[in-house]
Amino acid sequence: MKKLVALLLAMIMALSLAACNSNDASQSADPSADASEGTQSGEPANSGSAGEITDPDSIDDDMRSEDGTYQVAFVTDVGDLKDKSFNQGTYDGVKLYAANNGLSYKYYRPANNSEATDEDRYNAMRTAVEGGAEVVVCAGYLQEAALRRAAMEFPDVPFIFIDGNPLSDEAGNPLTNVAAISFQEEQAGYLAGYAAVMDGFTSLGFSGGGGGNNDACNRFGYGYLQGINAAAAELDTTVDVNFSWLYGADFQASTDLQTMISGWYASGTEVVFACGGAMFNSISNAAATNSKYVIGVDVDQSGEGDFVITSAMKSLADAVQWALGHVYDETFTQIGGQATKLGAAEDAVGLPTSDEAWRFETYTVEQYEQLYQQLVDGTVVVDANFANQANTQWTNLNLNMVE
Amino acid sequence: MTFLIQQTMLYAIPLMVVALAGVFAERSGIINLALEGIMIFGAFIGVLFVNLVQQAGVFDAAYAQDNWIALQGFELLAMAVSALMGGVFSLLLSFASVNLKADQTIGGTALNLMAPALVLFFIRIIASQNTLQMATGNAASWFMIQKSDFGYGRNEEMGFLGSTFLDRTYLATYVCILIFVLLAILLYKTRFGLRLRSCGENPQAADSLGINVYKMRYIGTTISGALAGMGGFVYALTTANCTANGDVAGFGFLALAVMIFGNWKPLNIAGASLLFGLFKCIAASYSSLDINGDGVFLLNELGISSHFYRMLPYLITLAVLAFTSKRSRAPKAEGIPYDKGQR
Repeated sequence: MKKLVALLLAMIMALSLAACNSNDASQSADPSADASEGTQSGEPANSGSAGEITDPDSIDDDMRSEDGTYQVAFVTDVGDLKDKSFNQGTYDGVKLYAANNGLSYKYYRPANNSEATDEDRYNAMRTAVEGGAEVVVCAGYLQEAALRRAAMEFPDVPFIFIDGNPLSDEAGNPLTNVAAISFQEEQAGYLAGYAAVMDGFTSLGFSGGGGGNNDACNRFGYGYLQGINAAAAELDTTVDVNFSWLYGADFQASTDLQTMISGWYASGTEVVFACGGAMFNSISNAAATNSKYVIGVDVDQSGEGDFVITSAMKSLADAVQWALGHVYDETFTQIGGQATKLGAAEDAVGLPTSDEAWRFETYTVEQYEQLYQQLVDGTVVVDANFANQANTQWTNLNLNMVE
Repeated sequence: MTFLIQQTMLYAIPLMVVALAGVFAERSGIINLALEGIMIFGAFIGVLFVNLVQQAGVFDAAYAQDNWIALQGFELLAMAVSALMGGVFSLLLSFASVNLKADQTIGGTALNLMAPALVLFFIRIIASQNTLQMATGNAASWFMIQKSDFGYGRNEEMGFLGSTFLDRTYLATYVCILIFVLLAILLYKTRFGLRLRSCGENPQAADSLGINVYKMRYIGTTISGALAGMGGFVYALTTANCTANGDVAGFGFLALAVMIFGNWKPLNIAGASLLFGLFKCIAASYSSLDINGDGVFLLNELGISSHFYRMLPYLITLAVLAFTSKRSRAPKAEGIPYDKGQR
């Protein structure tokens, strides 16, 4: 008996070892045939002019450079790299720029996942710089303290700070090697809320991440409410909105979140704005179970299923490529040390309008583009100061704060 | 009401099955603290199986044709695989505690520490991220039973029973209940069950009557591992959209608590997990809970702090324990390595 068990255990060991070996092999085989030169394996060689890569999913997430250094580094926000949302969208920009310009790239994930400390994030940035990074892209305002420290320590390395504010050192001098890029999320939220109400939904929900302390999510939520209110006023109706920051503090999926959202759907809510990374998994599970709808966030999530009626996008990938372009054509001084705010005027926020992603039945793309134009020329102004949300008297919506 | 029953089942069923897993191990004399770890491992194996089979495209045709019976078969297969591997994983515990006579608490804790690390290690290799997901689609569209499967249209009603127990349910839930009942009978109404239990009460006496205590303890722990592995996958399937990330939200430890709460008896365990699941469900959804279907969210209107509702499952558990713990009695010989020489 003892021998049998020992044999069995040995077999498990051997099997698990074999499992990692085979995986390792397949991984290291990939990049050698892949994008390290900025060309794809399927394309003819020296394809510099054969057109650039536009599909980020066709570029490997883990590339191996020959000398072990990586020129473009990306430090992730909390949550997974492949969160189908913020991290993934940002990294898509990194991959696209690097692959199309023959640069090496790598992502760094701060240790300890959602409990990452400033120390963990700083270590990730330092590892990136020591790994040969010529530019470091940092995603998420949570990285502010770590980034300040890293930027002061490595003044020659440009940092691109997505969703952040410009930083200054202890003496109050702006750090010119940090380019802060943020988005007018309130406009994206406004467009989504407006479209949903115009399409005939009368009971909506919002479930946001960061527990109400994430500026980007707060702006999404506040803009969403303004859009709903504006559309409801136009249609002369009153709309119910459930609004919650519960169970989203770490942007993760959970049974509790799924139950709460299922409860909303069961009691009449028709569409919920899932504003935060992997929370989408729980919310979409609830939506699919109840045959209801979800609004995605950050990137076009229509591919996740028919229940994603639209997505409040910010063009992370484009913004990252734009900023990286400034680094590599030596014009980084134009954006370094400053805040770049991207919104409708820069075509950096919006809803996906392709045929397969546009799932509204009565609200049309033309109507959407009209509204978009009004955002661009300033006829419609969306308040970005989410501190006002608590004191706003909504005319056409019943706001139910779930807490 | 329908909503409350369905969500309660989502919470309670994995809890119930894993608590029974604990019973099988402890009744045979092995403390299985590793339930959490085995659940994590089982969830990972199940999701990995689903992912790989989807990549191989075996059930693509069935999915395209809405052949829900085939997809339910796929689900059962995944459950079986995770149960199998859960059983294999638990052999580590039985080997340590039966053959090596190691301290079972430490052995179980070791597995609990090892499982998430091991699982995350594999997920990082396989998916280069921290969550393993289905290759395509979502759990609801692949595995959930819907009324359209029975020919009902979008706006047709199935009646209370149909919409509660058929529409939007997972077959896994019912399979778990069935297995729970069968194994409870096995443990209490058969010769094998009596022998197994005797090994947890007085192994020396059992041995003197010709029962192989080592074998019985191996069997008990392996059944325990299989149930916990399956429970882990059912948890991942029904509440985490069929994803594995090296975490089952402490359900394994909750199950241990439920087992003690239920006094190591299957019927009490079923009651305890339903009670606990019900109040967990109320805690998460009280603000939109319409109990009697009159459109009034009664619990929300009461104006009681939300924190109270969130404490409720634990308060109830404490209260019930306060009244029942006097009668609670663990198997006598659990946690003591069996030594033939000792009389």
